Amino acid sequence: MTTPILICDDSGFARKQMARSIPEQWDVNISYASNGQEALDAIQAEHIELMFLDLNMPVLDGYQTMLRIQQQQLPVKVIVVSGDVQPEARKRMMAMGALEFIRKPIDNIKLYEILSECGIYSGNASPSKPATITTPENAIDELDAYREMANVAMGQAGEKLAQLLDVFIELPIPNVNIIESTELHMAIAEIQQSDSISAISQGFISAGINGEALLLFNDSNFANMVRLLKYDQTNVSEQIELEALMDISNILIGACLHALSEQLHVRFGQNHPMILGRHCDLEGLLNNSVSRWNKVVAIEIAYSIENQDIHFDLMLLFPDKAMEIIFKKLVNLVES
Amino acid sequence: MSNVMAELEDLHLKHDLLGSIEVGIAVVDRDFNIEIWNQFMESHSGMSPARVRGKSLFEMFPEIDAEWFRRKTDPVFKLKTPAFIIWEQRPHLFKFEAYRPITSATELMYQNITIFPLTSLSGEVNQICIVVYDVTDEAISKQRFEAANKQLEKISRIDGLTGLFNRRYWEEMCDAEFKRAMRTGRLATMMILDIDHFKKVNDTYGHPAGDKTIKMLAKIIAKAIRETDIAGRYGGEEFTIILPDTEVASAKVVAERIRKLAEHLPVQYEDQTIEFTVSIGLAEFHSSFGEYMAWIEKADQGLYEAKESGRNRVIVSQ
Repeated sequence: MTTPILICDDSGFARKQMARSIPEQWDVNISYASNGQEALDAIQAEHIELMFLDLNMPVLDGYQTMLRIQQQQLPVKVIVVSGDVQPEARKRMMAMGALEFIRKPIDNIKLYEILSECGIYSGNASPSKPATITTPENAIDELDAYREMANVAMGQAGEKLAQLLDVFIELPIPNVNIIESTELHMAIAEIQQSDSISAISQGFISAGINGEALLLFNDSNFANMVRLLKYDQTNVSEQIELEALMDISNILIGACLHALSEQLHVRFGQNHPMILGRHCDLEGLLNNSVSRWNKVVAIEIAYSIENQDIHFDLMLLFPDKAMEIIFKKLVNLVES
Repeated sequence: MSNVMAELEDLHLKHDLLGSIEVGIAVVDRDFNIEIWNQFMESHSGMSPARVRGKSLFEMFPEIDAEWFRRKTDPVFKLKTPAFIIWEQRPHLFKFEAYRPITSATELMYQNITIFPLTSLSGEVNQICIVVYDVTDEAISKQRFEAANKQLEKISRIDGLTGLFNRRYWEEMCDAEFKRAMRTGRLATMMILDIDHFKKVNDTYGHPAGDKTIKMLAKIIAKAIRETDIAGRYGGEEFTIILPDTEVASAKVVAERIRKLAEHLPVQYEDQTIEFTVSIGLAEFHSSFGEYMAWIEKADQGLYEAKESGRNRVIVSQ
C-alpha cells in the first residue's frame, strides 16, 4: 500500500534532501509544503500518514503547526526535522505529540531506525536515488542552498550557546543575500539599528573556502549578557564587556564553523579574533576597513534569548569564489 | 631501513618540529596537569619539560587566574569548541619577559592564546592544547597608534587659546544634541554670550590684553557650567554653550552666575586692571526649529536684545 507522506520545509533544498533520505524501497507518495499553513491545508484536504516537519518557517512555524494539529486532533504522525537542536525545542515538540525529533543534516541510518522503531516502515534501508523521486524543483536555488546550510550551522551554534548559558535561544530564519561591497554598510545598518555597537571579526579558511565571521553586539544588551554569563564581578566594566563579547564569539563562531565543516567535509582554520570596534556607530566600525572584494554572500543570523531582551547578530561573509566551491559541494552532496 | 628506524626518524622529526617552532605549545589534562611542554615554553619559562610534566599548571604558574582560566576552558572540554583569548582581554597568560631584553618597549610579552580540544579515539575530550603566540610588537604598535589618535582627536577638538571646544567640533556636538532632543523630546537650552565693548578693550590695552580677557571669560565659563554642558568658542570673543536636559529657567541661573563672575573678576594685565561685562542670550529647544542653526539664531536674538537694552544682562529669546 502506498503511504502518503508530506514534507514541510520552507527550503526547497531541504525538501530535496529530505526526499533523498527516504528509504528507496518504501512505497510512498510524497507531497510538499513550504510552510505550516500549506501543510495544514494539505492535511485537511487529503489523508497524510506521516509528515516531516521543519521548525523555523515563515507564515506558520513548526511549533504553531504542531499546536494546531494537537488542538484539532488531526490524524497525522509527525517527525520533526530541525536545524534547531536545543533540548528545549525537542521537549516542546515532543510534548505536543511529535513522534520523534531528528536533527539536520539528516542521518539516513538514524532515520531508518526511527521509522522502524515507530512501526512505520521496516523494509530495506538504502536511501532513494534521486531519479526515483520527482521533486518539484529540478534546479536548486543557490541562495536557498546557502540558507539551509546556515540554518543547520545556526542551530548547532545556538544549541551550544543554550548549554553554556542555560537558556532557550530563539532562532530566526537566516537571511541570505548576495551583496556588493558598497552595500555591506547598509546590510549591517539594517540588522543592527542601535546607536552604539561593538563587533568582533574572525577569519576562517579551508582549502579554497575562506570567509569572515562578524559578531555584532548592541551595546545596550551588555548588562543583561554579563548577568547571564554569571561572572563574579557585578558591575559592568569595559573589561567585563570584552570578556562577554569574546566568550559569546568563541562559542557562536566556533560552533557555526564546526557545523559548516561537517556539512562540507572540510576543516577550517581560524585566526585570532579582532576587535573591529567598541561602542562606536557604524561609520566608526566600517571606515577603517578596505574593500578588496566586489561581491560577497552575506548570511545574517539574528539570535535572541527568550525572555531576556538580548539580541545579537552573527554575519558570515563569503567572497564569491569561496561560494562557488561551497555551492558545488552542497549540490554534489544532494545529487550525487 | 627497518620499521623501528623509520618510526624513530619520524619521532625525531616531529620532536624537532615541535621544538623549533616559535610558538608556545602546552597540553594539559582535565585536571590542568601539564603533559606536553615545547621548547618555546621551556625557553621562556626557564622550566624544563621534566620539571613541569605531571604538575599542576596553576601551581607552576601562580600568575594564571585559575578560576578565570577554568571558565575559559570549560566550553573547550564540554562543547568541544576552540577558545581564543586576545591580549586586549588580558595582556598575557604566562608571565614571560619580552623577547628583546634591551630595546623592547615593554618588560613583559603580550600574548594571544588559542585553546583547542584534543579528542581521544573514543571521541571524548580529555586534553586541551594551549597555544601561546607572542604579539608584543603588534600590541605595542596598536597601543601607540591609539594613543596618538586620541591625542590628535583631542587637539583637533580644542580651541588653543581657551581650552574650550573649537567651533567645528562644538557644531558637531550641537548637531548631535539637536538630533537627540528631536528624537527624545527632552528639554535643552542654548546659551550664547560675548564680551561687551570688546573692541574698546583691544584698542585701549592692546591685543594681548584682549586675549587675556577672552581667556578669563573661558575660565569663568568652565567654572560656572556643569559637567554635562557643552561649551565652545564660537568666534573671536563669542561663546556658545549647550545645556542638555535643562529648562530655560535653570539655564538662566547658570547665565546669571557667568554674568556676575565676569562683572566681579577684572583682568590684571601688566599694571592695569581691565573690567569687563558680558551680554547673554538664551533659547530653549523647540522641535519647530528644524535644524540646529535655527536654534543658535534664536539664542542670538536674545543676545542682540541684551545688547540693545543696555548690555551686561541675560535675555531669554521668546
